[in-house]
Amino acid sequence: MRIIRLTVSALIALAALSSCTQVRPWERGYLAKEEMAWDRDVLERQLNDHIFFSKEASSGGNSAAGGGCGCN
Amino acid sequence: MKTKHSRSLIALSTSALALPGIAHADAPPTESTLSYKISNYQEDDLTRAQVPFGELGRYDIDVHQFQYVSPLGRDFALFIDANHEDMSGASPWFSTANAAGEPVINMSGASGITDARSELSIGTRYYSQNGNFGGAVGYSEENDYRATYVNLSGSRNFNNDLTTVTLGFSHSADDIFPTDAELFNRVRNEDKRATSAAVSLSQVINRVTTFQTALSITEQSGYLSDPYKLQDARPDNKTQIALSNSLRYFFIEADGALQANYRYYRDDFGISSHTLDLSWFQNINRTFQIAPVLRYYSQSAAEFYTNIDDFTKPLTEPQSSDYRLSAFGAFSGGINLIADFGDWTTTFTAERYVANEKYSVYAVNQPSPALVQFVRLSLGVDYSF
Repeated sequence: MRIIRLTVSALIALAALSSCTQVRPWERGYLAKEEMAWDRDVLERQLNDHIFFSKEASSGGNSAAGGGCGCN
Repeated sequence: MKTKHSRSLIALSTSALALPGIAHADAPPTESTLSYKISNYQEDDLTRAQVPFGELGRYDIDVHQFQYVSPLGRDFALFIDANHEDMSGASPWFSTANAAGEPVINMSGASGITDARSELSIGTRYYSQNGNFGGAVGYSEENDYRATYVNLSGSRNFNNDLTTVTLGFSHSADDIFPTDAELFNRVRNEDKRATSAAVSLSQVINRVTTFQTALSITEQSGYLSDPYKLQDARPDNKTQIALSNSLRYFFIEADGALQANYRYYRDDFGISSHTLDLSWFQNINRTFQIAPVLRYYSQSAAEFYTNIDDFTKPLTEPQSSDYRLSAFGAFSGGINLIADFGDWTTTFTAERYVANEKYSVYAVNQPSPALVQFVRLSLGVDYSF
């Protein structure tokens, strides 16, 4: 399936990138800032996932699905 | 804004980034945090042109969210999540054609629908030098729905903690027992299962940039129809695939961060979608931060979607006029105001969501008259101790 091939290609490309970039521990201050987190506000992300799940057909993406509800 | 070490939670979405001097690449939280968020979102009323008879009001929903995170010994963390929702209002029941042959909506709940949902999940996570592993169990209950679920996920760091691979798995077992089943000839008791797996790879690109790509696959089986729609029959299994890419970039001169997320989704109901959301986190000073957000979403229609119910069609054939299966696009925009007072952090959020068939990037052959619009307000508080 095309989407699987694209994903595998992206993963391979990123794995290749991993051998090229070196950021030393003392250079990671900006990366550790709250606003650089994947989930800066976990409750906000959970709320948005739940609201959009009940209003739209799509779900999933960066995590395995959680519990269901009667809202969709 | 104070600097906090990023932590990997149940939702497997964090790259492990070690602050200088920290011995462990992944570390459990060093203090406990109690978080609470209260939200209200209210769907816009429909118009008389859309609903020729009956009430025009839709849903009004209050949400309470609680989370407790605490270190557990030296290498473990405890996570407790609890949510409660109160819902009242009406929703589309079936769709017919007006004199001009255009679809119009007939709403359910002449006297209004009220429902409440409560959810509790408890999880733990173990942190090692090279990664972490954990899981959670959860239970939710509504007047007409019950779900029990389990999540497991683990992360492994490579390349001096610049690369993180995460695997996740979840399974949910749901029971559906619609209210007024005999009165409205609805199904009495059905069940649904969902199993999901996800893999993600996060990569530090340079000292101000990180990137993540993730793939999730979900298989649903059982009763997938809406028992509250008069003419709704969906296949009894569905496969969903979603591919996400996320970027985080810190602008040093501006003292702000850009968050960009894109998701492509596809399922075998025939629906595919694109989601793009952008956030800009601007530090005002050490205490205040402002973060505008913008989201665009567009989906195609399910193969069996119809905007006018055909009551001559047997329910053995897939069919639904549920607007959530139609082709449409949606914009939402909002603002977050964040105040960090050390142990206390408060966040205020205001958001407006508007769905319209004109916003769709997909062909719209049968626009739904029931697309939703709403305003959401939230106030959250975090206390660390």
